[in-house]
Amino acid sequence: MLLLKLAYRNIFRQRRRSLLTALSLAGGYILCVFSFSLSEGSYSNAISFFILDHTGHIQIHLDDYRLRPKIHKTIDDPQGLSELLDANEEIESHTLRVFAPAIAYSEKDNSPAQVIGVALERERSTSTLAAKITAGEYIDNALDAEGYYSAMIGAGIANSLNIGLGDELILISQGADGSIANDIFIVKAIVGNRASPDRTTVFLPLTAAQEFLSMYGSVHEVSILLKDDGEARVQAAVLQDQLPELTVDPWQIVESTFYQSMQADKQGNNFFMGFIVFIVFVGVLNTVLMSVLERTREFGVLKAIGSRPLKIALMITLETGLLASLSLVAGILVSLPLIAWFTFLGIELAEPMDVGGIMMSHLTGELSLFVFGMPLLFIIGFALLISIPAGLRAARISPTEAMRSN
Amino acid sequence: MSGVISTTDVCRYFGDDEETMVKAVDRVSIEIVRGEFATIVGPSGSGKTTLLHLLGGLDNPTSGSVELSGTNIAAMSGAVLSDFRRDHIGFIFQSYNLIPVFSAEENIEYIMLLQGVEASERKRRVTDMLQQVGLEGLGDRRPNKLSGGQQQRVAVARAMVSHPEIILADEPTANLDSKTGIALLDLMKELNENHNMTFVFSTHDEKIMNRASRLIHLHDGEVDLDERK
Repeated sequence: MLLLKLAYRNIFRQRRRSLLTALSLAGGYILCVFSFSLSEGSYSNAISFFILDHTGHIQIHLDDYRLRPKIHKTIDDPQGLSELLDANEEIESHTLRVFAPAIAYSEKDNSPAQVIGVALERERSTSTLAAKITAGEYIDNALDAEGYYSAMIGAGIANSLNIGLGDELILISQGADGSIANDIFIVKAIVGNRASPDRTTVFLPLTAAQEFLSMYGSVHEVSILLKDDGEARVQAAVLQDQLPELTVDPWQIVESTFYQSMQADKQGNNFFMGFIVFIVFVGVLNTVLMSVLERTREFGVLKAIGSRPLKIALMITLETGLLASLSLVAGILVSLPLIAWFTFLGIELAEPMDVGGIMMSHLTGELSLFVFGMPLLFIIGFALLISIPAGLRAARISPTEAMRSN
Repeated sequence: MSGVISTTDVCRYFGDDEETMVKAVDRVSIEIVRGEFATIVGPSGSGKTTLLHLLGGLDNPTSGSVELSGTNIAAMSGAVLSDFRRDHIGFIFQSYNLIPVFSAEENIEYIMLLQGVEASERKRRVTDMLQQVGLEGLGDRRPNKLSGGQQQRVAVARAMVSHPEIILADEPTANLDSKTGIALLDLMKELNENHNMTFVFSTHDEKIMNRASRLIHLHDGEVDLDERK
């Protein structure tokens, strides 16, 4: 206790210098927290956007369908798979999809299109497809009076074919059995805008797409939404063990290019943060060394009256740690409301940004233990580290030489 | 009377070159017995402070041995030597050398904290020491709020509170005015007589010499004369 008291009082011996050091430490911490919050928030938003847009946390395919899609690489018992996934408590929801390239026709024009058959109700609870509808309404499985299924089409196709709600859309593709697939669908909704990734997509009810493509109840993809964002890799591994005949990939693999870019960017960000912390700690090191130099005589006396060298080194570490801790408390008090504002309100963008068909109007951060805890541990760790050479210097002081100094 | 500390042919030379080597202490063999109020005297540069540092284990001799209660402290180093100093030797320095951020009480208490003395016992001893050195009511003051004499009294209390076998005082009155110096010496003499505490001074202050029971005269690092009164 007395040592702690000594450390505390020593910090306030040179108030102005300690205050400046504390300011630089707190400033460095706030900068780190803000940067982490921005980085984590941006990536978290981006991950949420594409996970909810289409990827999900986990995807299941047959073999290498994800890399080399072929219409015949199908999951043939989606019903059984759905029952297994529905029983899994880690899974929030899942959806079934089929994919096929097609040519879309109107009375006057044609356009290439990507047909996606979706299990409508499951899709609604797994992805943001329903939220991306800009005109019309989410379709159902029912046939209309003339025996046609409904379709939701990307704004790009609607524009190319010059069609709108209620118009007929003709699709021609190749069936899984090698036959020519062709059918008429009624446009019930427009999805996204002309710049959206979905602009050339035609969404059909799953059963309609399976009939159209002669797929007889099979699907190409199962997309899974987990309850816990951070469990994708673990749950993917668990499911892979349960489904050895299928290929189960977490989003980090499905979106590997994005994931690797994100990791590289985060490492760059960490390097930048490290550089800032390094600059801050050059100042802190200077303060600690100055403090030791000024108190050479005192350390000599402490050693003379029986303080062990290690105790003196510990005292320096305690002082540095205490100064860093007080600075961090101040840093947390300042950064907490700042990050809370940044997370819950965010910075309004000059122009709203289209992310996967969803308009993002604010740049937001992340408020998490990681954002506050990581820089805290880093700064405390670094502070204790740089106190070691200063502490060793103090511990090695010869009492006779120290007491000769002023 | 039993010997508390003794040196045998202890030498402390500075420098390696034979021509420029300074023999601060040269082949000194002395024995200080329990309860002595001994003084090492001599002109400036005679080696008084160096000898005192060797006696206290603050410096290592070039050769020879320094034994405190039968233990050769010249062979000790690091934490072992620190612990030995803490438990067996009290120091009083010319310029008081109190810890400026501690109060008088805390300065006295610190050494007991190093010894692991319990809080209640520390408090009792601090109160007792403050009373003995005449600083009752001033325990919460920091050194900069005490006069030179009061600071040196705190230093005396700090040196004594751990019940060391010997107290080494390096020119303790040098920074004090005559009246304060005499008062401090009287205090130390009283403690010496009442508690049979062993004191060794290095000084050229006649006031100390007059009160000393033994004068060890040093000249050029060698004992010139060792007289008991």
